[in-house]
Amino acid sequence: MAARHKSVETKFMEERDRVLRALRNLDRRSFIKVVAATAGAVIAKGLMPPHSFQLVTIANAAPDKASAASGMNGQPPFTFAYISDTHLYERTLNQRFIRAALKAVEDVNALDPQPDFVLFGGDLAQLGTPQQLELGREILKEVKAPVKMMVGEHDWFLDLGEKWQELFGPPNYSFDWKGVHVVVLMSVHEKDFWTARRMTPEERMATVAGLDNGVQSRFEVGEPQREWLKNDLAKVSSSTPILVFSHSPLYKYYYNWNFWTDDADQVQAILRRFDKVTVIHGHTHQMLFNQIGNISFYGMLSTAWPWPYAPQGLPALTIQMNRADPFDQFDACGDGRMEVRADGLVDKIYNLWDRNPVTVKADYLRSRGKIDRPPAPQFASY
Amino acid sequence: MSFKPNQTVGAATAAAAILSAIVILPAALRAQQAPPAHPVPPPKNGGTVVMLCDGKTSIEIKSLKPGEQPTESQGREVANELMAEWRKEHPDEHWQMAQADAGAKPHADPMSQASKSPPATGQQQGDTYASFTSRDYKVWQAETQKFVDEGKRIFHDWKALGGTIGVSCDMCHPDGANTHPETYPKYQVQLQRVALLRDMIDWCIENPVKGKTLDPNDPKLRALEAYIYAQRKGVPLDYGKH
Amino acid sequence: MFDERLWTGLLLIVAVVGLSAVPARAQEPGPLAEPKSRNQVGFPAELYSWVIPADNPQTPEKIALGKELFFDDRLSEDGKISCDHCHVPNKGFTDQLPTSMGIHNQFGQRNAPTILNALFSTTQFWDGRAATLEDQAKQPILNPVEMGMKSPDEVVGKIKGIPEYNEKFRKVFGREVNYDDIARAIASYERTQIAFDSPFDRYMAGDRRAISDSAIRGWSIFNGKGRCMSCHGWNPTQPLFTDFKFHNIGVSAHKSDFVPLARKALAILAQGASPEQIDKLAIQTDMSGLGRFLVTKQPHDIGGFRTMGLRNLLVTQPYFHDGSQQTLWDTIDHYNKGGVQNPYLDGGIVPLGLSEAEEDDLVAFLASLTSPEYEQMAKEEYDLQFKRSRTDRPQRDTEAAMGLKGRNGPGLGGPFGDIGPGQSEMGENPALLGGD
Repeated sequence: MAARHKSVETKFMEERDRVLRALRNLDRRSFIKVVAATAGAVIAKGLMPPHSFQLVTIANAAPDKASAASGMNGQPPFTFAYISDTHLYERTLNQRFIRAALKAVEDVNALDPQPDFVLFGGDLAQLGTPQQLELGREILKEVKAPVKMMVGEHDWFLDLGEKWQELFGPPNYSFDWKGVHVVVLMSVHEKDFWTARRMTPEERMATVAGLDNGVQSRFEVGEPQREWLKNDLAKVSSSTPILVFSHSPLYKYYYNWNFWTDDADQVQAILRRFDKVTVIHGHTHQMLFNQIGNISFYGMLSTAWPWPYAPQGLPALTIQMNRADPFDQFDACGDGRMEVRADGLVDKIYNLWDRNPVTVKADYLRSRGKIDRPPAPQFASY
Repeated sequence: MSFKPNQTVGAATAAAAILSAIVILPAALRAQQAPPAHPVPPPKNGGTVVMLCDGKTSIEIKSLKPGEQPTESQGREVANELMAEWRKEHPDEHWQMAQADAGAKPHADPMSQASKSPPATGQQQGDTYASFTSRDYKVWQAETQKFVDEGKRIFHDWKALGGTIGVSCDMCHPDGANTHPETYPKYQVQLQRVALLRDMIDWCIENPVKGKTLDPNDPKLRALEAYIYAQRKGVPLDYGKH
Repeated sequence: MFDERLWTGLLLIVAVVGLSAVPARAQEPGPLAEPKSRNQVGFPAELYSWVIPADNPQTPEKIALGKELFFDDRLSEDGKISCDHCHVPNKGFTDQLPTSMGIHNQFGQRNAPTILNALFSTTQFWDGRAATLEDQAKQPILNPVEMGMKSPDEVVGKIKGIPEYNEKFRKVFGREVNYDDIARAIASYERTQIAFDSPFDRYMAGDRRAISDSAIRGWSIFNGKGRCMSCHGWNPTQPLFTDFKFHNIGVSAHKSDFVPLARKALAILAQGASPEQIDKLAIQTDMSGLGRFLVTKQPHDIGGFRTMGLRNLLVTQPYFHDGSQQTLWDTIDHYNKGGVQNPYLDGGIVPLGLSEAEEDDLVAFLASLTSPEYEQMAKEEYDLQFKRSRTDRPQRDTEAAMGLKGRNGPGLGGPFGDIGPGQSEMGENPALLGGD
């Protein structure tokens, strides 16, 4: 009976499984060959810095000359999308988070026009194992647009970034895109709390993976990277729009849950001389936005689960999203995209699954909430 | 900075939680299941021995065979006999004062007394059920905290909870946030009926956690409830709130 | 069934030819069309008091007038289609067709919902585009594929041409015939179609032997593992087994053009188009599957349809908004495998892992929601469906239901089944080529 009544999706899945089985059997050497060939083609065109992991379809990598010419001062508006905080476990343990990650991939692939690139916002894995990170890489391979990788603490603290860097390259880098200077930071360094406690790598990872244990140190960009950032920005003029991607919010939101970057003040000081700075961060799994001086901050949604709002420290400009319905695994999760305007400011669209999208405009933040206020929630946090 | 105290306290309690989770808690749970008992002398005449709550005075009811339930009037009679027995042995004492002397102290601000000398006997409004030493308070607090900590352990450990997909409570509810125990009972749309906190804990175990629901009397469920309530200390009850 | 309908049609034509005046109808509505008593076990009196509109109270005269109108073929353009053409009392006030056939043998896009307990619904139609039964009643009369009248004026004119109606309208409403009052009378009649008193209602009222052990197990699965209760809500205040909300459960995605159409509609919206342009698109293309979205133009409503109540399901087959499922087993199979994947699928629709025995129990529970007047009919339908379910299960996909394959399983698989763009793109991404 099974064969006779094979449903359409059964047939599709079987075909799909065949392709993916082939993909899984791809050994490391042939994988590197494929990636190298891809990267080589891209580098040859002078499009991407060689140190960032890029999954590129050649057709999409070519810059859009026509729109570049039509834009203001040769700085056209562009869009990029993001997927963040997928928290993948091994596929044998948990399919829920895989399903959500795949849904996000499908979302960004359906964007028309396609975004210039897709930012991955960190926490690809839940506990940073090679299997989890490799699974994440497989899923992100399906993204049609180039992927810009950022690391999160869940990816890092099992082996202190060894596997992640092997797969995706250095965790901090910068590039210029259509007149905007983009910096990707590794903002989730922590002071050594594990050696004195004689923690195994697994215990260290499990500790960092929890929000409310109080054992771990707080996140920081750290002195060496702040120096790197200063040098990187030294040659950039203060009128150039700056985009900063960091996993943790680059300000101090709530200490107890590590919604926090300990040296945020120093990093903000480095960014202060620029007219327009937009920080896009992951980690907080919620609609979250803030304005500090010249810097606009947007938090990204997670695909895996939403965090509640912290009991203190929520930026006054943030409009809370409705509380999540736990019946619906997608509720209050999602992905999103940023529209980089001709003037270099960024409007953010929160693509909340199973809800209407919410747009937060740069003008809302820069007017300190006077205009373009996003819709209020019916049920705010307790 | 306002966060500093939080840091210290947080680190200390978390470290304590990790240790106690491993070593102390199973013992604590056993202790809960078997409260301390006063040994009763064996019956001499085949009846049932009943002891007064001073832990010393006892009489035997000959008409009541072991395992039988006394009637209400039998019960009253026994109580009177026991008190008579006690007065016979303590002709100069007053029952209530005597029990208060076992360590009287006021209800209010129990811990503030801990470092001072114990109050003089017989000077409080003490009675049997309200005369407690600062040690009593410490014991209660420790026991309560162990119960809460056990809940905290399960709350943070998907395996202990019986989950199957690596999802633990704290992943969506750090510090028990957004569990709003003060709003129960309320109509819970996932269940389409009025629910208590424990109903929703069970729902979460069955659905996002993908485990098996716990019986209302399951120690794990009770401990989880304890932890969740403990996180909302001081929040006014507001049943039915959405 | 289809033949039977054709024969009925022929008989009607013969009848019309044989009479000089056009009759209201060829046959009497029968006992199942009578207004129902409210004296039923499980009747939600409190809810009832909330749903009778203040501007249209129930009166016996109005109900009688509404009933006459409901069964009057003359409300249609060709004088052959009355409300009960698609809402047949002997078929649980449905037509038991996948989608309904209206005037000139035209088929619509959606399955006729039952009138039974429709008075309690917060919105009407599968997409909720009418707020009240009054609003609802006005639409099919004017729909070109249903009853085909050209305008409210044409309907009013036609009714005014029938002398006894003039008199009745004046008596009930104290004024001339008008379109709003026609709708009010029909709605009043519909509000008498109350269906409780089922074995399940008696069970909940305390008769522990009113339903079988299998049905009791089914009720437990309904509340737990099956996750049914979250949308098909039941409580004594509102015992209707629905949340009256709109969910994409992946029914529309059976059709391969669903996702492209949805994306097109969203793109048009993103460009700042007016709702009217979406409506136009909906008429020009087969956009019925977009459901609630066509009403709200809100992205989260794509492919969403109203949660229907579950009473008397064994006389209102087939199931879902397109009538695509023949049996209750097929319907449960659909949910069990996590619906049909599409980018807008409600996040609450996940594989359930129900065994065959558990599905049987769920059906037994659903069968216990049958009101007494439909008991015999439902029993016969149950036997038919049961027999069919033993050999023919087109929606069954046990591996998907158990999470053993596809996107839910160790094989990872593609996200969106047969309609996702992922498949064709795979060959184009150089990083995905090669392998063994």
